[in-house]
This record gives sequence, structure tokens and C-alpha cells, in this order.
Amino acid sequence: MTHPATRNTLYVEQAELLSQDEYADQQFHMRLHAPETATHARPGHFIHMQCDASLYMRRPMSIMRSNPKSKTIDVLYKVHGQGTDLLSKRNIGDKIDLIGPIGQSFKMKGYKKRPLLIGGGVGIPPMVFLAEHIKNTAKDISPLVIMGSEIPFPFKSRPSQIMLKEMPSDVIAAMPLLDDWGIPSRLTSLQDYPGCFHGYVTDLTRHWLDQLDKEQRNEVEIFSCGPTPMLKAVAQLAKEYALPCQVSLEEYMACAVGGCAGCTVLIETDKGPAMKRVCVDGPVFEAKSVIQFQE
Amino acid sequence: MTSLTEEDKKKLALDFCGLKFNSPLVLLSGCVGFGEEYTRINGFSNTDVGAICLKGTTLEPRLGNPPHRLSETYMGMLNAIGLQNPGSKIVVEDYLPDLDFTETRFIANLSGSTIEEYEAVTRIFDDSPIDAMEINISCPNVKEGGVAFGNDPEMSARVVEVCRKATKKPLITKLSPNQTDIAENARRCIEAGTDGFAVINTLMGMTIDINSRQPIIGNNQGGLSGPAIKPIALLKVHQVYQVAKQHNIPIIGQGGITTVEDAIEFIIAGATTVGIGTALFYEPLVCPKLNKGIVDYLDKHNLDNVSELVGTLKLHG
Repeated sequence: MTHPATRNTLYVEQAELLSQDEYADQQFHMRLHAPETATHARPGHFIHMQCDASLYMRRPMSIMRSNPKSKTIDVLYKVHGQGTDLLSKRNIGDKIDLIGPIGQSFKMKGYKKRPLLIGGGVGIPPMVFLAEHIKNTAKDISPLVIMGSEIPFPFKSRPSQIMLKEMPSDVIAAMPLLDDWGIPSRLTSLQDYPGCFHGYVTDLTRHWLDQLDKEQRNEVEIFSCGPTPMLKAVAQLAKEYALPCQVSLEEYMACAVGGCAGCTVLIETDKGPAMKRVCVDGPVFEAKSVIQFQE
Repeated sequence: MTSLTEEDKKKLALDFCGLKFNSPLVLLSGCVGFGEEYTRINGFSNTDVGAICLKGTTLEPRLGNPPHRLSETYMGMLNAIGLQNPGSKIVVEDYLPDLDFTETRFIANLSGSTIEEYEAVTRIFDDSPIDAMEINISCPNVKEGGVAFGNDPEMSARVVEVCRKATKKPLITKLSPNQTDIAENARRCIEAGTDGFAVINTLMGMTIDINSRQPIIGNNQGGLSGPAIKPIALLKVHQVYQVAKQHNIPIIGQGGITTVEDAIEFIIAGATTVGIGTALFYEPLVCPKLNKGIVDYLDKHNLDNVSELVGTLKLHG
């Protein structure tokens, strides 16, 4: 365990629900007025929220966007169980109790020239946050975002205005928000959505990597968030191509401040295998250190 | 202590096993890491509680149980952490120096697979600044030791006896609710030299994923905590108090305490102090509210100090 804790870095806020938009398959995009979290959040951070006062446990949710000027954060979630179902029924103007911003963010100093952001399903939001951060802070960097989903994407995709010669010519669907920022994105699914690559995110990643020459490949660093099987596949691909890779993990959580050790994962450290807490030691880890991804 | 007058603070100050507590609130082992974790939260202060029980510590480091370690239940949760800890030597040498002993009292939580291990861990903490030790003979989530000792009064007494010989610091025995006669166990532990009790540890339980037909918890079963267990805990405190009061042995009452009313119920039932654990997960800044609420109750009932309320239960004839 990391010790000691850094005092007074997390905030308990009564965040006002400003908007809640529904997309296909019970996916919701909410905007909250959460001044402290919005001021201090970095890509990879998450919040721990009371979906409803009737539930005894909070739910960890990744942050998709954070705007220190408007003091707002955006959260994207899919109704998965009782907590998210109750959250989806909250009204505009409601106060939602949350703790934030929590965790170790993606390590973003000294980007390689070609950050590759891979998001799957509920792992899409932190990739959007990271893409926006790169846009705002590292203008000479050329990130690429690959997103996968087996349900309709929580946005109306459109043909990208940014051409990528390394991508198959029929793979043109993009996330409009990223396109507008000048950040190329491509979408994958097994569901035959128009303009999307038919396959897994790792299949399209492999195709893209294989189009790069050796020098270009050495400029790639992977950042990823998504379901565990996808992250494992990403980690193994990164290993195959000898690319640095950071992954954001999830696990059931109780306290989210490092107190209960309920959310641990087995991580390889200098001193051997150790159970690290996803909440405060993570959620972002080096992919090669995650022992379940090595098997 | 946040937002209380000097006069109010006096109403909450008490003696527990010879230690000065500035509040009857005690943060419970396994919920607050090694004493500093919740200070990450802006507005949280260790000075708001009388004591903090550190995470269960064994002689050697333990990785703990595989995930998932948690599962939500109706008004509570199951956990099976499995005593993940860095070992008593690291805790004493690396963790205790980071704690501010002027803010509150710190209590080590001792665990082991054998009686000899309990003794060895006690000796390591005896030679440290720790204020007191809690003997955890009731952890439900490890294969050896833990609750295997706690459910047998004879074994419980033997563990307390060896710990007693290994230290003069206050010893608090954490009793298991997963046993037939908790009062008899308490009686044997008093004979063996315990200075106090923590009542209760979690209750064993299970949740199942109906799609995979597997238990949700990696350890298959876990310990149930939260408001769901409060009435059980309250009765156990009442039962232990009947024995403990004859020997002036104080109790940390614990099990699902979330509100001011919960805390006051436990004190009336016989608890000198009240443990806050799972409630922190729901409301991290709950402690100042509980302190204020207890003061308000004392004022309303013309009591000068919280200790006047201990064990004032009026049973029906």
C-alpha cells in the first residue's frame, strides 16, 4: 500500500445535475456542477457517487470531460444494475453526493508523438478526457482514438473529416466531438454499424500499427480503458509490438479512498507481486505490471 | 475537533481502558487502512474521533483474497479482504512514524493463524508507540485462525492469555457474532486478562451471481456489515455488557452504526464507545455530525458527559 496518504486532495461535493441525455440501450450522458472536482480532475480520475440516497454503497464513475471554467464535469454511463438505474431517474436540479477527483491519472508528461487511445464501451469516457487534455496541452502531438462498442455508440457517429491513410478506406465513422477538435477517431464493432470496422479494437489497432514503418511505430504509446478482456488483449498487443501501454482498471469499490482494500488487483512491483488498490494506487497502471494480463 | 465548543468537547471526552479519548467515536479496523487514508478527504480530521483501529496485521505480509472482495447487499455489504497487510514489522517501522499521535489514539489490530503468531505480533507492537491493541479473533475471511479462535471460548481465552503476557498495553478483544454464547466467551476473555471488548465483528454471508451461478465474492463467503446487522450487534452488545459491567470492562459497540440515533442506542445498550466503519463509505464526513448529534442528545437529557449514558437501558419487566 502507498503510504502515507496525501491529505485534503479529495472533495465531497453536492453536485447539481445540470443535464441528463439518454442514448440507445440505456446509455446516459450527464453534466454535473461540481466545482472542486472540475477544478482538480485529470484524465483517468474518477468520482465515487451516491446514485440514490436509498443505496448504501456508492458507485465509481469515470470522468469524460472536466471544465474548470464552468465548474462542470461530464459522466457517461450505461444502466447496468440497481445503482445506475436509480441514477438514470434523477431529475435535473437534483443534488448528487460525490467524492472526487480520485485516483492516479494517466502519466502524461513527455508524450510520445503518436498516443493511441483505445476505449471500449464504458471505457470510452476517460479516452475522451485524455484526448481533450492532449488537444489543450500538447499541440504538436498527433493522437489517434479507436473506440469499440457492441451496442450503439452513445453519440451520432459521422464520416470523419480527417483522412488516415493507414486505415482501411471504408472505415470512416468517427466521434463528431473528437473530429471537431481535429483529433482523428475510428470506431469498431461486431454489429455491422455503418462506417465502423467489423472486428475488435485490437484488430483495427493491429492493422494500423502494421501500416506504420518501424520508426513511426516507436513513436506510439497506448492508453486504454474498457472491459477486462479487451484490456488484456490490448496489453498483449502492446507487449507484442513492444509499446508502452497504460490501462485504467475497474473493480467493485467500497470506500474509494484507500481505506478498505476492497478493490485490489494483483500487480507486479519491484518487490514482487502486490495487491494494489484500484482506487488510490490506480485506476491507471502500466499494462505490463497487471499480472492477470500476463497469463 | 471540528465545530464544537470547548464545553461541548468536555461532554464527549472519556476514558477507555485508561486512555483519554476526545470522542466516543472509534474508526474501525479494515475500513480506514493504516490510519491516514481518510485524511485524503478535505474536511476529514482524525481529531474528530476518540481512536482509530488500524488494519488487521499479521506477523508476515499477506496478499489477501482474490477479487471480487466486495458485494452490495440490502442495507449493507459483504467483504472478504483476507487480512491483506504488509506484516507487523513494516507497520511498526514504516507506517506508525507517519501517524500523528496528538490527533487521536491509534489501536493496532492483531491477527494470526496460530497462538504463537498472535504472541509474536503483540510483542512487536508492544515495542512501538501504539496506544492499545485489538485482538482480532473473529475475522471470518481467512482459512486459519481468525474466527476459528473466536467461536471457541477456550481458544479465545488462550489467545488473550498469551497476548496479555506479551504486553502491558490495553488489550481489546474483538468478539465474533458467529457463535452460540457470546457472553460466555466474553467471561472467559475477561478471566484471561482482556481490558476491553469490541462487539461485534461481521456476520458470515454469501451473495450469488445467478447468471454464472458462482458466489460474487472470490472467497465464496464474506463478512456482512452495515445497517443490515445493527439490531444483531445491539443485542450482542447488551449481552456482553451484562458480563463486562461486573468487571468494569468497557465495550466498543459496533455494527451498522450510521446515524446519531444508532450511536446513542449502542451507548444505552452498554457501549462506552461506538465504532464507525461501513458508514464512512456512505458518508465520509459523518463523524462531526455524530459528535454534534450526541452533544445535542446529552443537552436535551441533562447529561454532562457521554459516559453517564452508558448501559442506561431500561428493560421491560
